[in-house]
Amino acid sequence: MKTEQGIRLGSLSLSRLERTPRLRRLLDRFDWVYTGAEFCENLLETGMAADAARLQAKGKKVCLVTPLLSEKGIESLASIFAGLMKLHRDGRLDPARFEVTVNDFGALELAAREKLPFKLNLGRQLYYNAFLVTRDSIEVLNRRSLDFFALRGITRYELAPTGLLPRTNFGDKAFGFDPKAFSLTLYYPYLNLTTTRTCLVGMPYIPPEEAVRGIKCRRECRACAFKVAHPWIKEKLFIRGNTVFMEFPEKFYSSQKELAARRIDRLVYCPFP
Amino acid sequence: MKIVSCFSSLDEIKPLAKAGADELYCAVPGLPSFGEPALLTGAGGLKAAVRAAHALGLKISLAVNSLGEASFTRPGEGRLLRRLAAADAAGVDAFIVASPAILGLLLALKRRRARLHLSSVQPCFSSLSAAFFLDLGISRIILPNQLAPYEARKIVELCRRRGAELEIFDHRFFGCAYINGRCHLHRPDYYTLNASVQNGSMCRLNISAGALQTPGAIDVDAAWKPRLGPIVRRLSSRLACGGAPRIANMAAFFEFFAAGVGYLKYGTRQDPGAVKVRKVREVRAMLDAAETVLGKYPRAEAQRRFMEKMQNWDGRKY
Repeated sequence: MKTEQGIRLGSLSLSRLERTPRLRRLLDRFDWVYTGAEFCENLLETGMAADAARLQAKGKKVCLVTPLLSEKGIESLASIFAGLMKLHRDGRLDPARFEVTVNDFGALELAAREKLPFKLNLGRQLYYNAFLVTRDSIEVLNRRSLDFFALRGITRYELAPTGLLPRTNFGDKAFGFDPKAFSLTLYYPYLNLTTTRTCLVGMPYIPPEEAVRGIKCRRECRACAFKVAHPWIKEKLFIRGNTVFMEFPEKFYSSQKELAARRIDRLVYCPFP
Repeated sequence: MKIVSCFSSLDEIKPLAKAGADELYCAVPGLPSFGEPALLTGAGGLKAAVRAAHALGLKISLAVNSLGEASFTRPGEGRLLRRLAAADAAGVDAFIVASPAILGLLLALKRRRARLHLSSVQPCFSSLSAAFFLDLGISRIILPNQLAPYEARKIVELCRRRGAELEIFDHRFFGCAYINGRCHLHRPDYYTLNASVQNGSMCRLNISAGALQTPGAIDVDAAWKPRLGPIVRRLSSRLACGGAPRIANMAAFFEFFAAGVGYLKYGTRQDPGAVKVRKVREVRAMLDAAETVLGKYPRAEAQRRFMEKMQNWDGRKY
């Protein structure tokens, strides 16, 4: 089981990427490019469909990562899905080299309604429905959860490591699941701790007498990420927009065999939180 | 709108009913529930609680909404199924569920009487997500605090069409800007605490912004440099004093109320009994205020009068 390598670009557009020499060079080293908006629906753009096709044309496999979705996000994603379907029908998007990661059951529902012909994965904000990740372990919760998602076409789960080679329960027959029935993608070195809908960095204050109609977003998250010292936590926290991360830069494995034994066949490098 | 109150002891039932609760919910040992334990105590356990609640005309739900603790082997699945069946046979009116696996077990229960409510721990932010779970047999959706009434309008419409119910939390006694069920900030699962958690909690430091080190900017986009100052100050202030903006507020409550959302929840199970009763009285008072103005005035005027009445509500006593 060869370990594939991916790079997560977040919502960085292809045209912006092409203006950044460092990222262009990084791209050459990776099999997969993870694009899209993983944590915030306000960063979804229709152009992500065309970017996916262009990245495939450059020889890359592409995964579109999608966030938690309100009605606004559902509309944006529906538009992207329509773009993907057109590219697929025109023969410009190869479904064998394209995947969609969902972090919301609404996205799963939308994919089913649109009969999306692409492989679906369960992202870092939904994996906990099937897996328990602690500092030193990754465990399947129960076989029913795996069956639930397998029935919906999902057999790949996305997690983040914690700097330690994890123990697993994948060989424990008492749980009754087939460990070969799923695969894991690990994003490194940033682990997502928590997410808000109202952006920590942006979004103006909401007075108590105002019932907002939605999230006012000026995309200030694009300015930068932040490194923060929480007074009660030893480790530094990283904040990008609406999500708080921790960094685990240590290499947690020494061989592909170790990864394969843990059903990890894809690693996705995140150059920034 | 009806009041759903948590309880964690049999002797809380009567006082909560008297304070204005219309429904109750609890968690019990042996069935995985989300959050701090505060499991039901008292002789007779769940059966006695159901009898007591039903005698007062109150429905009772059982929280089985843990995700991370929904871990079970094949033999364990059998035991869990039997416990769920026993709870159903004891007469609970609904199970509050988050995990697809637990939901699957409940759907597998033969002749299940209890209904199924979707916990906010499995947050539903769109009508498509709502439809996904309604199609699985959910009959009530407990909305997350991070959804505005205007954003929820299609969910409200869908639930009305499908005969499903909706529930929201009383924002004064619950709620965090971080999304429930997806948050690892509140427990040291991955980080190391170097101090005890002081008043407030991990997401609400309640210290002055000046006591926090200025956040350091990383990988700054040159085009944004001139605008960075106010962003850094805003982030510092939010980290120190209360976190990201909250969508759930008094105005949002009134809009959900006016939209016909059926249930309002107070859910801090670890509150002492006397505090629970006081809070349920507050929830009742707020509902009464909303009902009064909406019954008397046109919508906009009703909201204005409601906000005026509630503006002096002081949460510091809690």
